[in-house]
This record gives sequence, structure tokens and C-alpha cells, in this order.
Amino acid sequence: MATQHSRAAARFMIAPSVVLLLAWMLIPLGMTIYFSFLRYNLLMPGANPFVGWENYSYFLTDPAFQTAIVNTLLLVGGVLVITIAGGIALAVLLDQPMWGTGIVRIMVISPFFVMPTVSALVWKNMFMNPVNGLFAYLADVIGVQPYDFLTQAPLASIIGIVSWQWLPFATLILLTAMQSLDSEQLEAAEMDGASAWSRFYHIKLPHLARAITVVVLIQTIFLLSIFAEILVTTNGGPGTASTNLTYLVYAESLLRFDVGTGSAGGVVAIILANIVAIFLMRMIGKNLDA
Amino acid sequence: MARAVTNKTKAINTAIAWTVGILIFFPILWTILTSFKSEATAIADPPVFLFFDWTLDNYTTVQERSNYFRHFMNSVVISIGSTVIGLAIAIPAAWAMAFVPGKQTKNVLMWMLSTKMLPPVGVLVPLYLLFRDWGLLDTRIGLVIVLTLINLPIIIWMLYTYFREIPNDILEAARMDGATLRSEVIYVLLPMAVPGIASTLLLNIILAWNEAFWTLNLTAANSAPLTAFIASYSSPEGLFYAKLSAASTMAIAPILIMGWFSQKQLVRGLTFGAVK
Amino acid sequence: MTITRTLLGSAASLGLAAGLATTAVAQDNVTLTIATVNNGDMIRMQGLTDDFKEQYPNIDLEWVTLEENVLRQRVTQDIATSGGQFDVMTIGVYEVPIWAEQGWLTPLEDLPENYDTDDLLPSIREALSVDDQLFAAPFYGESAMVMYRTDLAEEAGVTIPDQPTWTDIKAAAEAMTDQDAGIYGICLRGKPGWGENMALIGAMANSYGARWFDMDWQAQFESETWNEVLTDYLDLMTNYGPPGAAANGFNENLSLFQQGKCGMWIDATVAASFVTDPDDSTVADSVGFAQFPNKEGVDNHGNWLWIWTLAVPAGSQKAEAAQQFVAWATSQDYTQLVAENEGWRAAPPGTRTSLYENEQYQEAAPFAEMTLNSINAVDTSAPAEGEIPYTGAQYVAIPEFQGIGTAVGQTFSAALAGQMDAEQALQSAQQLTQREIDRAGYGSD
Repeated sequence: MATQHSRAAARFMIAPSVVLLLAWMLIPLGMTIYFSFLRYNLLMPGANPFVGWENYSYFLTDPAFQTAIVNTLLLVGGVLVITIAGGIALAVLLDQPMWGTGIVRIMVISPFFVMPTVSALVWKNMFMNPVNGLFAYLADVIGVQPYDFLTQAPLASIIGIVSWQWLPFATLILLTAMQSLDSEQLEAAEMDGASAWSRFYHIKLPHLARAITVVVLIQTIFLLSIFAEILVTTNGGPGTASTNLTYLVYAESLLRFDVGTGSAGGVVAIILANIVAIFLMRMIGKNLDA
Repeated sequence: MARAVTNKTKAINTAIAWTVGILIFFPILWTILTSFKSEATAIADPPVFLFFDWTLDNYTTVQERSNYFRHFMNSVVISIGSTVIGLAIAIPAAWAMAFVPGKQTKNVLMWMLSTKMLPPVGVLVPLYLLFRDWGLLDTRIGLVIVLTLINLPIIIWMLYTYFREIPNDILEAARMDGATLRSEVIYVLLPMAVPGIASTLLLNIILAWNEAFWTLNLTAANSAPLTAFIASYSSPEGLFYAKLSAASTMAIAPILIMGWFSQKQLVRGLTFGAVK
Repeated sequence: MTITRTLLGSAASLGLAAGLATTAVAQDNVTLTIATVNNGDMIRMQGLTDDFKEQYPNIDLEWVTLEENVLRQRVTQDIATSGGQFDVMTIGVYEVPIWAEQGWLTPLEDLPENYDTDDLLPSIREALSVDDQLFAAPFYGESAMVMYRTDLAEEAGVTIPDQPTWTDIKAAAEAMTDQDAGIYGICLRGKPGWGENMALIGAMANSYGARWFDMDWQAQFESETWNEVLTDYLDLMTNYGPPGAAANGFNENLSLFQQGKCGMWIDATVAASFVTDPDDSTVADSVGFAQFPNKEGVDNHGNWLWIWTLAVPAGSQKAEAAQQFVAWATSQDYTQLVAENEGWRAAPPGTRTSLYENEQYQEAAPFAEMTLNSINAVDTSAPAEGEIPYTGAQYVAIPEFQGIGTAVGQTFSAALAGQMDAEQALQSAQQLTQREIDRAGYGSD
């Protein structure tokens, strides 16, 4: 049991982190909330009058707002589905005996080390470009019209690029979890004549539940604020087809320089992110307390 | 191994795994190869794979345009600096939460994680104003502060989940033997925690190295890291695939190589409590 | 504040703050941080700075080279918040008068004697001055024109007149397109942005006789003329344009044209020196030029004017050194320097009369005359037909235009990508423009 003394020590040890994060949260956030009630455009300096909820109503009635919400959810959901399904498949594969596991593993985790800007640039120009990209060349070889990924399916293309970056992370976590599985249990099942599929479905998959929750949590945190990939590849377009909430806030505050509306958008985004967070925490909490 | 693995299954596994591995790795490989081509070869139809006149011209051009070494040093200082400071703050916190859990521990932890959901674009202008007033714009210190703070929740969480798996019995035993808090930490806990700390360190260096929003927006010339370096190649200039590839390779090579060499350490502690 | 920053910065990087600061004061060394865009001419300038260092050994240059959109965001944010991160900024002609009115720019009063402001092209000088005071120095200037492949035109049996109409353009595009061979009759900008697709479409609208706003600041997208503009643009691009056109901006099209994939390309005149450069362009010796097209019966060739300029932020501690640099980079000597190193064709165009009077330049640059005529033809006080409450060119010179132009550009780009038809795009452009302009309070006073 923890003593009174060690509790005090513990508080003392946690304090710096809490204070720093509180400051980090409150100072910029406080200023953002303050700005969100002002008419504040960087291009038009002077008095920044208080305008009440105007910025909020302007942001929320923006026709792009709903699209952005939907796109944000699709982006997060799409990447999660792909990386988790792909991650499980890869984890199963890498868990098999084979020659050169080390090298395969290095190849598989490499995309995780590539900075988002670079990966977006490389995919956009050298693969998805409909004239000079490798995919266009492949389409040519099999005799079909090159597909214009970033124009015809902008959001799906971005989901693809982001999934490529996050697949290694999911794979690693899931693989570690897989390898922690007691092999005796598997062997026993095998003795009983369970097929490979049923061994996977009844033993391995349930064992991965925790790991999957962890992947969902960590990735969601990063995926909610996907930005660089969109900026580099599609600028949120065509139209608003690939605009997510983060990008919409960017467009308001840094393309239109309307800091007031941008801040209102930021506050909205923070509230929505926290709703997602609460939802996630519940889920995680259940899974992690066990 | 009780299960008999025939060479045949092993060969099939190997073939599948290598194919998948090469496919996943291909974009990086292609970028590296293209960086050694001339601009004309880079868009050749059909594409050439290995047999072309290898050239270093693109690297020379890129180096003439930007001071690679300075960007590189900034990236190193910023990512390592923010990670080390982050660890120094996080280790005690994670330790305390893991071994002296209170009623609020879980909530505090979750709250910390939720601060990571703050969309950076929403708070850029306020932060820019603060940094201007504090004289932190375009300084490494400024970036280290920001990156420490945005990655702190992840660091704490990762350490916490790792520490929690250290059996409490051992600590109890140490306490029985009269170990002070200090020696408990130094002699018992730390050795057991090293793998977790190491992979937290590595993961955060990677995250900080690749952070592309704050590093681009709060810097100009003095403290701009490699993410800003690559930003000057992000729109085409005539034929540019080879130059883009060279710049990309230069930007990712250091962290890629570090990742390859340290992947064992990285993987060992990268569980986030997923393994029970 | 600047001192604190320098100190902190040096302390962070070297821990030698005190030592450094003293030397800086003693030798009067200055380091200029220059924000610039990653266009070919600017990259060339970076390569030629040794010459500047020889003349001004105590001035060091630090470059921050960024892609256009990012650059604009960074410098605007910095100047509007007095961030003070840049000593010299590369900004466009659109920003200059607006920023000068705000008092954000240092008037260029300390230019050296031999700078010869009278040599600047009159329309350029006027566009960069407020009350006859120059606030930014032109690095290069451009209008827009048609660049086309003489070989392909000949093959296809079409001639493109020096002053083509849009009907001529369409006919030529149709004749030159050969998709199986990867040749697209026409390449135009489609990438969303007020400086990207809206530059082209805006100029096109001017040449059709359309306007952005009427005298009451009512957006005009639902007019018949705008409908013609957008319908024809979409028609040209979907039938004769390259795939992925909705993502193509200036640089992407330049790359396509240099590779020989485009029959025609209507874009900034500055591209001419790149497409005729045998080192970079595979079609260098078969490029012809023509004036920006107009609609039959409309006497307006687009009024496209763009100038990349170098400006010094107000309140800069290094204004003197910054002006020395600005003067160097936009002087006649710099033009000479580029000519010596890269040939006359590469000289930064569109800023000085002397360049166009230079026989060597005329000889080396077949596009010189067309460029000069296009620039001289621009009337920034009346860019569009009909009565208008604004000045501008292919843009509208109000601060809100960046936001409006980009949003409208997104809509038109979506139409090009096939997500909506011209009618819907115009309708949505109308709504969002009106919404923004009403909010800003135009027309109400």
C-alpha cells in the first residue's frame, strides 16, 4: 500500500507535467477563445471589436463545414480500418517462420520514419501523377486510361497515403502482442484439430483486442489533425472534397487571415475532438483496466 | 518448436513476406533510386530501374540551394532536445502514476492525452504572438519547448504503460530491504525500465523529427529543420523529380538509418500496454 | 525585442551570445533574412549572391525559400503581427498597395543614385507606388500570353494569329490534340488558388467582358458572360486538356510543356524564357508566341499583370542594408550579371525599359516584344469591362480577395474535376462571394 509519504512524493513528481500541460492548454486555448469573439482579420489591423457569436455562426453555417466533418470522420475511420486490417494480416505473416525476418521487418516499418511532407510529395508526384507517375505507366502497360487519383478520388488517395505511413505502427504493436501469446495454448488447439483459421479467430484475434484498442487510440489522436498530407497533395480540393476540419480552420485563419473565424473554428474543432476523446477513453478505459 | 515446419511452408512464407515487404518499401526505394538519375531519366518511359548513369548532380544542386547541414543540425538538436527534456519531466510523473496510483490517476492521464487533440492550426496565431513577445520566434529553444509539450502526453503514456508492467513485488522487496526512494529508483526501477525508456526515446525522436507544422511556422532561417528544407521543393520547377528525390532522401535518410539500426530497441518497448 | 531574440537564438545555438553580439556591433555586420518563393528566377538569384557579397562584404544573406502559398501565408502572418522574422520579403503586386496603405512597408527612399527608377516600365512603377512613392522593387514582371508549339501547329495545319480569339484557340486545341501520343491541345491552370487557376480564369473573364462585381458590390457570377467563360474553360480543358488538370498550376504546366505534352499553354509571360531554354526544355526551338486571347468584339486581352517584388517591412532594424540588397537584386547591373552567367534569355523580364531596348536581349529572347506589348497593354485602373468599383488586374485589389479568390478557385476546380457542372459552380461561387463581401461591409456604405 502506498503510504502518505509516497503519495506526497508522487504528487510532487507528477506536478511538473501537469503544470506544463495545463499552461500549454490554457494559455493558447484561452487566447483562441478570446480571439473567437473578436472581429480580427490580420489583413485589416486596427480595432478588433467584440462581435459575440458572429464568428461561430459564420463558421458553422459555412457550407464546407459539414463536408469537413464528414471528411474528417472518413479519413480517421478509413485509415483505422486499413491499418488495423493490414496490420493484423502483416502481424500474422511476420509471425510465421521464414528466412530473413529481420530484413522484411525493416522494410515493413520503414514508412513510419518518412516525414509526412516527403511521403505526400513522393506519392503525389512520382506515383499518382496521371502523366508521369508510375501508376500512369502501369495503367498504360495494361492498356487502360491512367486514373487521376488526386482529382477523381482525392480523399481516398489521401487515406491511402496516410495508411501507408501508419501501417508500420499498427503492425509493430499488433506483432508484439501476437508474439506475447502463449504458444502452448496454440499447440493445444492444434492437437485438438483446430484449423489454422479457427486458431486465428478464436485464440489470436481475442488476444489482440487490447492491442487494437491501443492502435485506435494513438492513431486517432494523430489522424484527427492530419494536415501536411492534404496541404501538399490537394489543398483540400477539388472543391472541398478533401477538406477536413483542420484544413478548414487553416483555410480560415491562414489563407483568409480571418483569425476571428479561424479561432472559432479552432474552438469547434477542439470541442469535437474532445467528444471523440471521451468516446475513445470510455472504450479504452474498459479495455485497459482489465 | 513442437510444430513441424517444413521447408516448403517456410519457403512460401518467405516468398509472400518478401513480396509484401518490398511492395511496402518500394516508394522509398524508388525515391532513393530516382535521386541518382538525371532529370530526363527520372521521367523516362518506360521507367528505368537500376541500369542508368548514376549521378550525384542532384545532390550537388540541392546542396547549392540550401544549407543542408544547418537544417540537419537543427533537426538533430530540436528532436533530441525536446525528447530528452520531455523524458526528464515525464519519467517521474509516469513512475508516480504507475506505482502510486490514486483515484484520479486515470483521469489525469486521459486528460493529458486529450491535450494532444488540440488542432495546431487553431492556436497558431496566439502562439505566434506569444513567441514574438517572448523573442522565441525562429529559435531552437522555442521549438524545443513546443515539441516537448506536444509530445509530452505520448511520452508519459508510453512510459506509464511500460512501468505498470514492472512487477510491484520487486519494488516491495526492495523497500523491505530498506531501500530509499532514491535508490529504489536508481538501482531497481531504472534497469528494468531501460527498454521502455529507450523505445520511448526513439519513438519521440521520430515524431519530433517529422513534425511539420510548428517547425515550419515558427522558424525562418536560423532554426529551420529539415521539414522546412523540404518545403522549398514542394512545388515543381520544370523537370524536378530527381531533385525532389534527392532532397527527400536527404531529409529522411538520417532518421531512416537511425530507425533501422535501433529497430530492436524501438520495438521492445513499443507496446503501450497492449500486451498483458 | 530583436536584441532579446538574437541573444536567445545565439544562446540556444552556440551559447556564445555575448561574444557574438559584441563582434556584430564592432564590425557592423548585418545578416539579412530573405523570404522568397521557389521560382526559377529566385533560385537563380540565390546562386548569384557572391557578386553581392563582393560589393557588400559586411552583409550576410540567409534565404528562406518556400512554395508560393506557404510563403504568402508566412510573410503575411509575420508582417501583420510584426513578427520581424524577415528583413526582405518577396511579395506580389497585389499585396504592395494594400500593405503600403497599412503602413507595413518601408518606403524605398534610400535606393542608390544609380538605381534609375525612371527606367522601370511605367505600368510596373505605377502599380508599386502609392502617392508616387515606390514601396517595393520589381524583381520581374509578367503579363500573360499564348505559348504554342509551332511544329505541332504546322503538323495539324492550323495557324495561330498574333492576336487570337478564343474561337481560334479552341480550333487550334482541337486540331493539335493527339491523346494517344500523349499530346494535349491546351494546358491551362486548374489548381485552386487566387494566384493559380483564378489568375487564368480571372483574366479570361476580363477578356470575355465579365466582371467580379457591379457598382453596388454585387457579385456577378450569375451573369450570362460568366457562364460563357466557365463553360468554355471547362469545355477546353475536358476535351483537349491533360489528365489531372485540376491539380495543375503554373509549375506543373511548365513541366508538361517542357516535356512536349502541351500544344498550347496560356500563362505568364515569364514562362517564355524557361520553355525556350534548351537545357530544360525538350521543345526549346519550336515555341511560338501570341497575345492573350479575347472574345470577339471585346477589346480586352485579359489585363493580366503580376510582379514579384522585393519589399522591406516597416520598422526593420536593418532597413538600410535591406534596401541595398533590394537595389542590387533589381538593378540593371543584376540583369547584366544574369546575362553574363546564363545568357540574355534568362534575364529577369518585364521590369525595365532598358532591357527591351537592348539589342542583345531582343536577339536572344524571341518573346521580348510580345512580353513588352502584353505588359504595356495592361490597365490596372480598369481591368474589366463595364463599370466596376475596384481596381486590379486578373485579381481584385481588396484585402478580402485572397479568401474569396481561393474559395471560388476551389469551386471552379471542383467543376473541372467533374464534381459539378458550370451552372452549379457559378451558383456556389456567387453565394460564397456575396456572403464574404457582405460580411466585410462593402456596398453598405
